Amino acid sequence: MTQHQAPKGIILEILRMSTEDGPGIRTTVFFKGCSLACEWCHNPESISSKPQIQWIKTGCIGCGICVETCPERALTKTPEGITIDRQLCTGCGLCTEECPTTAMELLGKKWNIHDLVRELVKDRVYFEQSCGGVTLSGGEAALQYDFCLALLKELRARGIQTALDTCGQVSQSVLAGLLPYVDILLYDLKEIDPEKHKKHTGAGNEKILANAVFAAHFKKTHPYPKTLWIRTPVIPDATDTVANIQGIGDFIHASLEGAVDRWELCAFNNLCRDKYQRLGMDWSFARTDLPERSRMEELTRIAKSRVSPSIVCWSGSTKLTKSTDKKTVGKTQPESNPLYNC
Amino acid sequence: MQNIFEPEPVIKEPSGLSDRIQWLRDYYFRGTERAWNNEFTSWTTGTPWDIIYNELTFYIVPETYTLLNTLGASYLQAARPVALHPDFWNGSLTERRAWFVREVIVNHVPQEILPGDLLAGARFNVQTSLCFTKEESGAWQKLVKGKNGARAQMKWFHDHGYGNAGATCGHLIPGHERLLAIGWKGVHAELMSIYNALSDQEQSGSKGDQLKAMMTASTMARDLASRYKTLCENLAGKTQDKQRVTELRSMAANLNRVPWEPATTFWEAVQALWINHMLVMTDENYPGAGVSFGRVDQYLYPYYERSTRDGMPRDWAKEILKCFWIHANTAYDAMIRNGNQGITAGFGQLITLSGLGARGRDMTNDLTYIILEVIDEMSPILEPKPNVRLHQNSPEILLDKIVDMIESSQGAPFLLNFDERSMAGMMLEAEKAGLTDLINKDNVHEYAPVGCLENTMVGNDRSGTVDNNLNLLKAVELTLTGGKDLLPFCDPMTGKTEALRQDGPRTPDAASFKTWEDFWKAYAVQTRYIIQKCVDLYETSESIRARFFPTPYLSCLITGCARQGKDITQGGAQISFATLEAVTYATTVDSLLAIQYLVFDKKACTMTELVAALKANWQGYEVLQAIAKNRAPKYGRDDDKADTLARLVMQLWCDETWRHKTKVTSRQFRPGMLSWNYWAGDGYVMAASANGREKGQFLSNAICPSNGADSKGPTANTNSVGKVLGGKAADGRGDWQGYLNILPNGASHTITFNPSILRDPVHKDKFKAFLKGYTQNGGTALQINMLDPDMLKDAQAHPQDYRHLLVRITGYNAYFTTVGRELQNEVIERMSHNKF
Repeated sequence: MTQHQAPKGIILEILRMSTEDGPGIRTTVFFKGCSLACEWCHNPESISSKPQIQWIKTGCIGCGICVETCPERALTKTPEGITIDRQLCTGCGLCTEECPTTAMELLGKKWNIHDLVRELVKDRVYFEQSCGGVTLSGGEAALQYDFCLALLKELRARGIQTALDTCGQVSQSVLAGLLPYVDILLYDLKEIDPEKHKKHTGAGNEKILANAVFAAHFKKTHPYPKTLWIRTPVIPDATDTVANIQGIGDFIHASLEGAVDRWELCAFNNLCRDKYQRLGMDWSFARTDLPERSRMEELTRIAKSRVSPSIVCWSGSTKLTKSTDKKTVGKTQPESNPLYNC
Repeated sequence: MQNIFEPEPVIKEPSGLSDRIQWLRDYYFRGTERAWNNEFTSWTTGTPWDIIYNELTFYIVPETYTLLNTLGASYLQAARPVALHPDFWNGSLTERRAWFVREVIVNHVPQEILPGDLLAGARFNVQTSLCFTKEESGAWQKLVKGKNGARAQMKWFHDHGYGNAGATCGHLIPGHERLLAIGWKGVHAELMSIYNALSDQEQSGSKGDQLKAMMTASTMARDLASRYKTLCENLAGKTQDKQRVTELRSMAANLNRVPWEPATTFWEAVQALWINHMLVMTDENYPGAGVSFGRVDQYLYPYYERSTRDGMPRDWAKEILKCFWIHANTAYDAMIRNGNQGITAGFGQLITLSGLGARGRDMTNDLTYIILEVIDEMSPILEPKPNVRLHQNSPEILLDKIVDMIESSQGAPFLLNFDERSMAGMMLEAEKAGLTDLINKDNVHEYAPVGCLENTMVGNDRSGTVDNNLNLLKAVELTLTGGKDLLPFCDPMTGKTEALRQDGPRTPDAASFKTWEDFWKAYAVQTRYIIQKCVDLYETSESIRARFFPTPYLSCLITGCARQGKDITQGGAQISFATLEAVTYATTVDSLLAIQYLVFDKKACTMTELVAALKANWQGYEVLQAIAKNRAPKYGRDDDKADTLARLVMQLWCDETWRHKTKVTSRQFRPGMLSWNYWAGDGYVMAASANGREKGQFLSNAICPSNGADSKGPTANTNSVGKVLGGKAADGRGDWQGYLNILPNGASHTITFNPSILRDPVHKDKFKAFLKGYTQNGGTALQINMLDPDMLKDAQAHPQDYRHLLVRITGYNAYFTTVGRELQNEVIERMSHNKF
């Protein structure tokens, strides 16, 4: 990459007024392409780095323009709607440009830094009022290193607080390059057992754990990142074991001591099963239920027993249970979330 | 498929009510089953030519058009005759009216005290004779019901999709603060001295007549209070309960002083405020829409403070206020037999809370919180409707309280006004109308909204905030057709179709436009025409009101009327704008954007094809319609290019509006955006529009983006609104601090949120931050709605209207309409149980 060639990013979505991707009000940029392929991923469209086409039934008026447009003849109109032959589709996106309704959608669009930054600064006043900012998420944003770094630098120069949401499966030099421009690092530790990690995500966890130690040390010895949140997805029949939570807890205690500001257990989310369908993907978790609230609470108790309890919390939806006492409305999050500074 | 059980949303219940208030509240909600109610009673002079119903006031309510004759006749039929004073017919119309209304409310309408009630002043809804002589009656009939009379003009205007206009009652804030301070005694003395200072000639002329009428009106509250005082004493004599006897004696003592004398205690002040307010509704024969209170937490505060010092418990202050709340709700009894007590929408006896004071000081006080607690504990109940004024330095405690209330009310309408943007607009109107002596940087913070969010000054201002409602979209239609309706009007009653006529200016055939700029030029011409048309229509009803419908009691409460010897209906108020409320703003902007996109930029169709598609209501043009809906740019997404055109549209119609004044009353027109329910109803009147909307689909509401267009979320929506109002001055020198606001009246803005945004303290803080951001980037007023299961069910049924509906369940987010039915049901179920 030379100085003259401005990098372009492959971006899935820009979500404004996000309240779930770090502190305050945020604009979250979802990068396309991931270095892991977790079986439970709730953003399956973010795994492949290639552009993908999807067809959304709502809004389609059945005009067939997409079928006529496709140079690869990858689209067919059937009584159920448009089917996409994934073998033939090159993701060129011509059909999505011609579709009058936007029912045919291109996942993964190219953005240049200038346009993206202009979009991201629009909510500056809300960031300022909430100690929020921009979160780079994905996929794995760090995979698009040049773009990611350029973007972080631009945001820093404009005084906008940044968060990087990473799975950790990146080279240490990449992390080292990005961290000085990251205010908040959101770091996933999914599974402590390397074998299981490989089974569920497609890669072992050695690099991830090493990078976690590196990031924690970096935080202690440099001005940035200022905040480190560890996040663990609680996936039924996968990561939701006592042993895993104990193991991650012990790892945090032993190796990341003092650097972690929050450890969040995130309940499995199955509301994305339509996304798999639309992408023509099978999903082994399609029939898996959400964890029960009691399970999340139990695992949280265990987590608290391994690390400083004040940093532990859990979030997410749990399985609906028919309440006999109709006045009881369940709370879905513990009342005291750890505070963060900004 | 998993078995989804019926959602059972948790409905808010009132709480913390004493037995007294609980009983009064329960009784109120028994509606038509009540033995007592505040239904209209009607009263006649007994002449064969009498007219009671002032239909002009209802010209802005299209739902009543088919009922005007029925209402007019039934009030006459039900009217009871009033024995007239021997000199009655010797007086001027305004003197007759003043005497008649006072006579009715003091000597004919029964006075009652409900069990346990701490305030007097029960029945006030009346329809009183317009007190016409035979000649006046004939003249009125001709002007209103004649061939090209006010009614026919109004009906043509509405039938052809322009909107509506009429000189309407209410919608102002009387000078309550002054009345509490000087009492009616002080008002009466002032009127007397002004009258005495007139020359003999003036005394026997219209000025003298007006002042005499106002003097009569200024004794109405005194005489009514005296009746209630006697009633309280009588009840005290018959009551066993010692505590109640004490209360009734105190009430009698209060009524012995107020509202005639200045108020000295909190209880007296609230009692006086109630009677002074309710008699406005009596005087106008109008059940209170937009008869607003202004900053009650400010002007009641000195009385509260004094009584608190003298030992009044905080809960007692709340108990008095809760009685006040019950009284305000009885306004809905006016047409109680029509069912539902009318309580599907707020009448808008608006109270203003908190806000800025002089030198940037925040004015929140203990009474602000007491009133919020009263609302919270009484809710759900509609009146008086609160509007809380926020600004950059609003206290955190206040914001916390508001957010808690929004959460617990589960999205029951909650209005917020934003001071900096609002005050910039008030400064602009002062400049435009040469009123800087009355509105300036030293007093602009005293402004308050009426009705919902329409900003005015207090006690000296009637700005006709709901009187003119113009569909800007009509100008787009006329541009496409060179000044004719797109579709011929077909009368639904007779089935007769009118021939198309050249109603508007003959702008060139749209097919001949070579560039977008050609189209825009013609659009500007048609915009000028529709505004002129609206102004002309208003002149018709305004001139009739000025001549035939004086309200001398109300005139006493508004500074300017006494000095000028002019009724408020004749433009007597010191500040007397006529507001033009633009309706269909986003539909208009989006239609223009679509025309630009389809015809000139992408060349997806020719102008001729587009016009044909609109005439066919898009039937047979589905692809073009889809492109218009989905591909053309839209206002409300913080898209600078689209918002630039939106800004031009705004500037154009505002500039045209400022060019006009009413002839008969010299009221300067000013712009605002409020759409009440017209955006729904007129959707059935107006032809299909170029943004892809079919005839019969809703238009856009006030300053909000079109239904479903705000796909970038609440912050983008807010930024667009702030931008088109003027945003902030590039050099930091706005009309108020850096702020600009092209709409002095203000603009109604509603945003619907996911309830998950309030699910825990961390998220409540985020919501608070959004409100603070709104102060910087947003509009003048915001109504917050919460997404509810019903809306989601509607989205299942009509996905095309809800494409923007983003559902967030913690980490997961999706556009609701894009997910499958089973998931949709699950989302609905979670929302019903607040389980995110």
